Amino acid sequence: MTGAAGKQVFLWTFVVAVLVMLSAPTVVVLGASFTAGNIITFPPEGLSLRWYARIAGATDLRDAFLRSLYVATICTLVAIPVGTLAGIALSKYAVRFEKTIQIYLLLPFTIPLIGSGIGLMLVFGEARLLGQLWPVGVACCVINLPFMIWAVMASAARLDPDLELAAANCGAPPLSTFFHVTLPAVMPGVISGALLMFILALNEFLVSLLLVDARIVTLPVQIYNSIRSIITPDLAAISVVFIACAGAAVFLLDRLVGLDIFLKSK
Amino acid sequence: MRAARTAYPLTWRVMDALEAAAATLWPARLDRALPWLMLAPALLLVGLLVLGLIQIGDTSLRTLDTTTFLLSEHYTLANYRRAVTESLFATVATRSLAGSLIVTVVTLVFAFPYAYVMVRTPSALLRKLLLIALFLPFFIGQVVRAYGWLIILGNQGMVNEALGLVGVAPIRLLYNYPAVLFGLVQYMLPFAVLMLAPALTAISEELELAAGSLGAGWVRTFLYIVLPLARPGLIGAGIVVLTLSLTDFAMPAILGGGSQDFIANAIYDQFFRTSDQGLGSTLALLLVAIGSLLVGVVFTLFGAGTLAMGRTRR
Repeated sequence: MTGAAGKQVFLWTFVVAVLVMLSAPTVVVLGASFTAGNIITFPPEGLSLRWYARIAGATDLRDAFLRSLYVATICTLVAIPVGTLAGIALSKYAVRFEKTIQIYLLLPFTIPLIGSGIGLMLVFGEARLLGQLWPVGVACCVINLPFMIWAVMASAARLDPDLELAAANCGAPPLSTFFHVTLPAVMPGVISGALLMFILALNEFLVSLLLVDARIVTLPVQIYNSIRSIITPDLAAISVVFIACAGAAVFLLDRLVGLDIFLKSK
Repeated sequence: MRAARTAYPLTWRVMDALEAAAATLWPARLDRALPWLMLAPALLLVGLLVLGLIQIGDTSLRTLDTTTFLLSEHYTLANYRRAVTESLFATVATRSLAGSLIVTVVTLVFAFPYAYVMVRTPSALLRKLLLIALFLPFFIGQVVRAYGWLIILGNQGMVNEALGLVGVAPIRLLYNYPAVLFGLVQYMLPFAVLMLAPALTAISEELELAAGSLGAGWVRTFLYIVLPLARPGLIGAGIVVLTLSLTDFAMPAILGGGSQDFIANAIYDQFFRTSDQGLGSTLALLLVAIGSLLVGVVFTLFGAGTLAMGRTRR
């Protein structure tokens, strides 16, 4: 049947185009990081690891990366308890004003990032918190919080409420029930949510840009500042760190919860 | 016989103490309010954003005194007057709005077949590959991806070098409007596909087979069965792409090279170049308003689509 063949050609044209658009920057950055030349050229001037040796010795890039790790850690540590409790509460109980709460908790997604960033900048500035790194972590947590809540809710929705009743019926007090029945059941959601929060905070750019000053730039801001002047391959080498982190995150996410979970219809 | 002390493990004692503490701090008669206690930290954290909006609103009503570089003490609407009358901002707003609309349409056109193949393919391996290709760039971040495109599209970039090999003079591919739109499309693709996929999963494959057995070709099946049933996904993906690209900062800044500013860039410049916090806040508040308005209009016209955060009804 020619119709089926036509459909495949049609679909695959788009799929291949999207694959190229998604993968080209990653592949090119990977390739550029191994160049032997002083500038990035095509075809590359031979292979070398000199730019990796260079970034290993560059304290500004290393410090920026450590700061990004710190920000991501703060973000994740705040997001886990806050998002888990909210996710369980939203999926388990019929709360009053449920609609309003949902709209309110979606504010981090409905308020444009630049608006959230400027607002937090003004609030933190008023509270004399600018110039420190932990508020950046908290800010990253706020703007991505719905991801954490969604992840937990997805797990909590699959928890049979009878299990908690059964635990209570066997004499388990509320906290024991929570720690031994509810929490283990939502654990996949907590883990995948925490992973998302960590990786998104690690490469968060705009909010970092607004909240940091020259002394405490995070790695995405550092890269942004550098590509506005001259593009050298050491930036490609440091970008590979992000690619490696992203690769690790995808691998972990797949192993822990399976990427297929994102295809499930609600 | 062992002493009772050792027979009762430490962890149990800890749990007992915690239970007792919890029972004193939160007696059972407050049980009805328990969900609120659990929601409180999240509500407080998001409250920071509300505080931020209030702060923006307050600052937007103060004008910059150019002699002292301080914001005025009294409230005035002068900034709003400037924001709606000065042609620079109208240009930027039109550029952003038109750009985000184009980006939304193009992204959906490309994302739909991708999501469809990903959902429908019988091969688990292919599905996984497509998912990885989606998540990897999503997790790599905007700046690194934009940097990759700089290497590819730059004046001495790969495309121009390759064109040079076949004797074509270098073309300026960067720092123009299409470059920014292209950057936005490739940045939005993962969001769009991930919003579309659940909606496509919900469409039963038998429906398509039934349409086919009744004599509909694949184009008709696609147009009359798949597309209408995927509407919630298209709405969700459309809203996400529209608002994210309307308010994006990095792509216009990096691939536009300062000549193709979107609203977010104009706001940033007001704060960090001109240091006019009042006007910057005004623009930020207007952007929040436009964004919310767009989302609101789409929601009321088409419903919340796949974005609803509702409790799953059992």
